[in-house]
Amino acid sequence: MIRSSRRWVLSTAAVLLAALWAFPVYWMINSSFLPQNRIRAEEPTFVPVDGTVAAYERVFDSGFFSALKMSAVVTLITVGVALVLAFLAALALSRFRFRGRRSFLVAVLVIQMIPAEGLFISQFKQLDAWDMLNTVGGLSLLYVATLLPFTIWLLRGFVAGVPLELEEAAMVDGCSRTQAFLRVTLPLLAPGLAAAAVYGVLQAWNEFSLALVVMTRPENMTLPLWLRTFTEANRTSDWAGIMAGSALIAVPVIVFFLIVQRRMTAGLVSGAVKG
Amino acid sequence: MSAPAATVPDERATLPPEQGGAAPRGRQGRDPRRRGLLPYAFLLPTLVVLLAALGFPLARQIVMSFQEYGLAQQFGREPEWVGLDNYEQLLTDGYLWTVLARSVLFCLAVSAVCMVVGIALAMLMTRIGRLPRLILQVALLLAWAMPHLASLTVWQWLFDAQFGVINWLLTTLGLDGFAGHSWLLNQLSFFVVAGIVVVWMSVPFVAFTVYAGLTQVPADVLEAAELDGAGGWQRFRMVTVPIIRPVLLIVGLLQIIWNLKVFTQIFVLQDAGGITRETNLIGTYIYRLGIGEGRFGLAAAASWFILLVTVGLSLYYVRVLLKEEAAS
Amino acid sequence: MARTRVLTALFAAASLAMTACGDGGGGNEADEVPQQSGPATIRLWLNGPDTPEPMRQWLKAEFEKRNPGSKLVIEEQQWEGLVDKLTTSLGSAKETPDVVEVGNTQAATFTTVGAFEDITDLVPKLGGDDLLPSFVEAGSADGKVYAVPLYAGSAYVFYRKDLFAKSGLDVPKTMEEFVAAAKKLKQDNANVSGFSGFWLPGQDWRDGAAFLWDAGGDFAVQENGKWVGALSKPESQRGLQLVSEIFQEASGAPRDGNEAQPEVPFCAGKVAMALRPGWFRGSLADKEIGCPEMLKKIGVFPLPGSDGEPAPVLLGGSNIAISAKSSHKELARKLVELILSDEFQTQYAENGLTPAKLSLADKLGDDEFAKATAEAVSNAKLTPAAQGWASVEGARILEDLFVGIAQGGDVAALAKKADEEITKQLASSE
Repeated sequence: MIRSSRRWVLSTAAVLLAALWAFPVYWMINSSFLPQNRIRAEEPTFVPVDGTVAAYERVFDSGFFSALKMSAVVTLITVGVALVLAFLAALALSRFRFRGRRSFLVAVLVIQMIPAEGLFISQFKQLDAWDMLNTVGGLSLLYVATLLPFTIWLLRGFVAGVPLELEEAAMVDGCSRTQAFLRVTLPLLAPGLAAAAVYGVLQAWNEFSLALVVMTRPENMTLPLWLRTFTEANRTSDWAGIMAGSALIAVPVIVFFLIVQRRMTAGLVSGAVKG
Repeated sequence: MSAPAATVPDERATLPPEQGGAAPRGRQGRDPRRRGLLPYAFLLPTLVVLLAALGFPLARQIVMSFQEYGLAQQFGREPEWVGLDNYEQLLTDGYLWTVLARSVLFCLAVSAVCMVVGIALAMLMTRIGRLPRLILQVALLLAWAMPHLASLTVWQWLFDAQFGVINWLLTTLGLDGFAGHSWLLNQLSFFVVAGIVVVWMSVPFVAFTVYAGLTQVPADVLEAAELDGAGGWQRFRMVTVPIIRPVLLIVGLLQIIWNLKVFTQIFVLQDAGGITRETNLIGTYIYRLGIGEGRFGLAAAASWFILLVTVGLSLYYVRVLLKEEAAS
Repeated sequence: MARTRVLTALFAAASLAMTACGDGGGGNEADEVPQQSGPATIRLWLNGPDTPEPMRQWLKAEFEKRNPGSKLVIEEQQWEGLVDKLTTSLGSAKETPDVVEVGNTQAATFTTVGAFEDITDLVPKLGGDDLLPSFVEAGSADGKVYAVPLYAGSAYVFYRKDLFAKSGLDVPKTMEEFVAAAKKLKQDNANVSGFSGFWLPGQDWRDGAAFLWDAGGDFAVQENGKWVGALSKPESQRGLQLVSEIFQEASGAPRDGNEAQPEVPFCAGKVAMALRPGWFRGSLADKEIGCPEMLKKIGVFPLPGSDGEPAPVLLGGSNIAISAKSSHKELARKLVELILSDEFQTQYAENGLTPAKLSLADKLGDDEFAKATAEAVSNAKLTPAAQGWASVEGARILEDLFVGIAQGGDVAALAKKADEEITKQLASSE
């Protein structure tokens, strides 16, 4: 009895916190349905009852899908490559002892500390020399490098958390090493991989600064670059358009999360296996 | 995520043996897989990518910090070697140290709040049903996924002096003093607003990552601890924390790193109001000092300086890290 | 371009360029970029909305007609983050646009560093002395011309005729009358919260500059070959005192606010007068953005100076230049010629902007908006021509000064502090 009523209190608290956290998001959606001159006004409009979808029409008419495609491709490549590389590195770092291991770990940590945003001018020159400006590959390369340090560190912890004995036990039961890995280890890593994927998707999806200098041609715009065109679409910024565009940009991320979130909780079950 | 038991010796005793993996892992030295070139092969792709994307730019940055390097050099003029001039100019500026102290305070305060709130939310997620958890997660994710252009604009609107929702709410409640109140004009008030925005943006990351770590804490261990009479706080401290320690360490470290470099939020708020000189943090100051005017040599020196400060601030983590590595 | 600060910041974030520029050896060949002759595709960067779509269509069609086989691609850029993008792209022979638009205050940043092609020989063909002189000056360095004017625009006063009538006021003829009117309007409308007789948000030194300049003061002056802050000089002090008076007794705008989205307070009925560029009329007339029903109650006049002539307001506008790394310089020159042609420039005038040529000023038309534009530009001024001026703006010294004054701070003390900082910034970038 006590347990269930406490659970109820906690659930209510969670929903209230959710509402609090989502309020600015709600305000964005609210604003996207208002004409510009009612977004900031003497009396705030809390519910867009007599709102308009004009902003969404404008947004769909100005190249949303082309930017969506570009962002999707860059994000998929970036996150895919980053996960594979980080996973291999994490495997090496947590399952092997070798010379240079410690220096590698510290180096990765320090890379994270470098004020890396500022490297963009040199990075531009370099991609220019390699003819990789305005290419998906060029932008993805920079993104992968940005994601790798954190992803390696995160996955390293997860890989270390899977006891070798489990794999060995599976092999005794007749699995090959690969099979043992796929059937036993990989599922246990799912929450870590899911968390890393969510992080990576969000970083790549919303990145602005590097995309700005690497993708110099309008046909190569990613979503954040595209969104910015509304700031000077007219003599004054198209705020409703910016809010509508932002809402649309967030949708694929939410869908992606809903797909992977089951994986994030899978660990709760599998954790018991270890005992 | 049971690794920490193995890697942090002084915590080992507090862990139930089934969590440990310590004993078998201790013998890993004889595992044949640890020899040979295989681990290097696994690291190679990562090294190649990091070198390709960061190697040359970082090297340039070192070189440039000793040069007079501006826009003219960017377009082809020979850079001039100036020795330590850039560093000297940076460090002899008294205002830099004010800004630095301010940044460190802001960074520590905001990081602490982010960690506490993020961990609390992650714990909350493990104790509630599927539906409320999903609602909370989606709300956090929405905040995280909202493009910065939109979120920073909305926050400005909320705190707007003349047409802001917050002032509207307060005056509607009868607090007429808040009509036209500027939240950014007062230095402390500015940093509180900035802190709220930064926390709002950073907590989702902390909460999700810690939650992923918490899913690795086996329920039976917690139950066993409860049967042994451990209270909620004790269970958290003695069982949960050691298990998710690596995640906490890396997330905490990242918070410090990111919050020391915080830039966009401050820059945007300074444009909206407040007094720039009273509200500069290290990121905006260096930007205004160097990059805004294309003084790249000075900016390069500044970024090495920031790196040094960051390393200093996170020394605790780095030492824990080295200890872990030495122990394993 | 002075007016573009809208949501500035976000995007300057882009350039948290903690570092810099490997030139990767890509530098010195600037003058030796291999030139391709014959038809080609050339790229023109235009910024923001000032060159509307029909003008772009005309330019493309005309260019392709005059240069058979060649193609013109216009790529729209945003003002925010433009300097970063120019800093990188102009340095790359492969990626550089051939012709670029830059703000008149940004032009100097790129002329002195060799990013633009020397087009001194082209100037007579483009109009010579007919080109707006201050813009040519902003685009020149060491006696050579690197960038020529594209268009100009300056702010004039938008006022509420109905409120003027209610307070029994006429259009002010001098600065003194203007300030008196602004104060009276605020008193007469004290029941409206946050009401401005003259709307001047605390950070808005760009519009406040007119009062400083009208009093004979300036932000910085050259003394013995060195640039120093000049805000403590008696004339400047008089100007700043007036600014302080306006902040305290005439403006109701937020004391630390910026000048973005002026249509919001205007349409909320909180503003009797505001100093705005010509396009502000378009914002007010838009039924989704502004308040068209209020438009008929609105009149305009150029801000009057103490002597009854138009006051010196800040001059805004753009320059146009050819990238030094362009490999189609012949075509690029032809494009610049076409852009400076009377036919194209007249279209700017028809859109309410002052054309790049003095002789075309009358093309603006003769309604009151056109007249106010022409008069405002006639006496407009640029920020000090010091090489390091960008860093004064970058450090937001003037925003801090004006916010300090708006808060009711001691003008002399604030000016002294600002002078020290200005002098320091200007000295360190010499």
